[in-house]
Amino acid sequence: MNISARNRFLNISHFKTHDLCLPSSFFLFWPETLTLWMEGGAPHTIKNGKGRMNYFKLDHARFLWEVHSGLEVAHYEFRGQLYTYFITPLIPSYESRIIEEDENSLIITNEAGQKMMINKIHAGNMPMYLDHPVRDKASWENIKKRLDPESPGRWPVVWDEYATRFHNRDYPLGLSVGSLFGFLREWTGLERLLFWMYDDPMLVEEMMDHMVFLETVIIKRVLKDIKIDFALLWEDMAYKAGPMISPEMFRKFVMPRCSKITELLRKEGVDIIFVDSDGNIDKLIPLWLECGVNGFWPLEVAAGMDAVAIRKKYGKEVILAGNIDKRQLTKGKELIRNEVMSKVPFLLGQSGYFPCIDHLVPPDVPFENFIYFLNLVREICGLEKIDNLLPIIR
Amino acid sequence: MNEYLSSICKEVIAGNQTEVIELVDKALKNGILPLTILKEGLTRGIESLGTKFKTGEVYLPEILISIRAMNNGLNLLKPYFRSSNDFQHEGTIVIGTIEGDIHDIGKNLVRLMLEGTGFRVVDLGVNVSSSSFVKSVCEHKADIVGISALLTTTMIHIPNVIHALKQNPLCDRVPVMIGGACITRGFADEIGAEGYAIDCTSAPEEAKRLMKGREKRL
Repeated sequence: MNISARNRFLNISHFKTHDLCLPSSFFLFWPETLTLWMEGGAPHTIKNGKGRMNYFKLDHARFLWEVHSGLEVAHYEFRGQLYTYFITPLIPSYESRIIEEDENSLIITNEAGQKMMINKIHAGNMPMYLDHPVRDKASWENIKKRLDPESPGRWPVVWDEYATRFHNRDYPLGLSVGSLFGFLREWTGLERLLFWMYDDPMLVEEMMDHMVFLETVIIKRVLKDIKIDFALLWEDMAYKAGPMISPEMFRKFVMPRCSKITELLRKEGVDIIFVDSDGNIDKLIPLWLECGVNGFWPLEVAAGMDAVAIRKKYGKEVILAGNIDKRQLTKGKELIRNEVMSKVPFLLGQSGYFPCIDHLVPPDVPFENFIYFLNLVREICGLEKIDNLLPIIR
Repeated sequence: MNEYLSSICKEVIAGNQTEVIELVDKALKNGILPLTILKEGLTRGIESLGTKFKTGEVYLPEILISIRAMNNGLNLLKPYFRSSNDFQHEGTIVIGTIEGDIHDIGKNLVRLMLEGTGFRVVDLGVNVSSSSFVKSVCEHKADIVGISALLTTTMIHIPNVIHALKQNPLCDRVPVMIGGACITRGFADEIGAEGYAIDCTSAPEEAKRLMKGREKRL
């Protein structure tokens, strides 16, 4: 009998099975990657999430995206080209508009009030942020007005009907529970936020306190009617040499507030709490564990993250997802095999692991390499390959 | 070391801008030469941050407030120098983010660290083409080129810059140092980049190493 994706997800997270689960919500792609794959012969069904899930035989998993609580994907369409970026959940959002345009780039203000430059030549690249909406306490107050948890626009129109959709489901369901450091950085810019941690720590704490207020109201309302399986914090607060702030600052600013969010989640029965942070988070893992966060994704290899070492160090304290080096997927099969075989058999053998790429799949990953990676993982678990679905790549 | 200079160094490390300003003022009034204050006080403070950063004693916020404190002290010294060459004495570096890439947080931190340790920095910004790097290196008689890349899809353009520099007799011996989220020492070796900095605080040390190599060649 087939075990549902939801049960597999829960059993793996609770170290009860050595089974495989490839949650579709952990497999992210740059739009340019999909475009190139389709141009090269991949079926156009991979353009949308459901099509990708079926084609790549991923396990259905989803977030409550309709509740505006976490980082969101946004698109800007300009002359038929779609540019993708991420925004904070401001309700109402700012009006998105073009400020300048030249041959190579567009400068726009986006829905989150940021001024950003979009590369027209390389549409898949992340934008460069030129200015941020929070410059002082007064401008923070303006953003704060857009962070009311009770704003009607933050919630599906017919809540009861919406909540009923998730009863008796067979797939894992997640809730984005916002961000402390990450969202503040989006509103202030990195440099200003880091200065404020010394120059105006009370304002930083006030901003973070409001994030706790926003998220706890949302969590309470959601969990009253919907049983979720996991929660996700988005922070991106490390780069390849380590955290952006010291452990002491983490303890001062982040820990007490993060703990309030995780305590509420755990009290309501949600014991799988992931944090999404690129960069080297080795020094942050014990701190997040202390805050009640127990899942780590995507474990970026280029920043020195090693899921095998983390498993050996922390045992069943940590649930891991990712850590397959995106750079190896751009290379030949032998290197992909080395990457997968050096990690996946051990990690699946220990349970508490979801194999996936350590970031969004970039456009220089050939389609056939991605399929090869998936098949290797399936082969390790004795599952049927997906070669029979491969189109002819020219 | 003179008491004022060691105190300036200490306050730069602590990021205390008010104290740095006061101490620089006092040092000047006590007849300490501006260049000595710069080299033995301000710059020494910034340089020692590199070591503290590597050992995890300081992080990015501490780097930023230290650089701010140093710059405030430097502002008091500038009127005593005839030109910027007097306080940007270590050499000239042209830096930029590689073509196709518009990320600049890391590059900007590198610029601050290099300026704080006595380099003259010509920042070309983001999405910089090979020809722009070459043109700027020749125009500013740069000693080093610094290239940043965040993405695996853009780092592949760095060899084009190295190739273009080597093709031009005016800049064929200018060393290149690289850095960024996707860059490793292995990649630097593979493409013939002579320098690599894992983070912003490593950049001045690496640049000084390249300067020494350059002096030997010249």
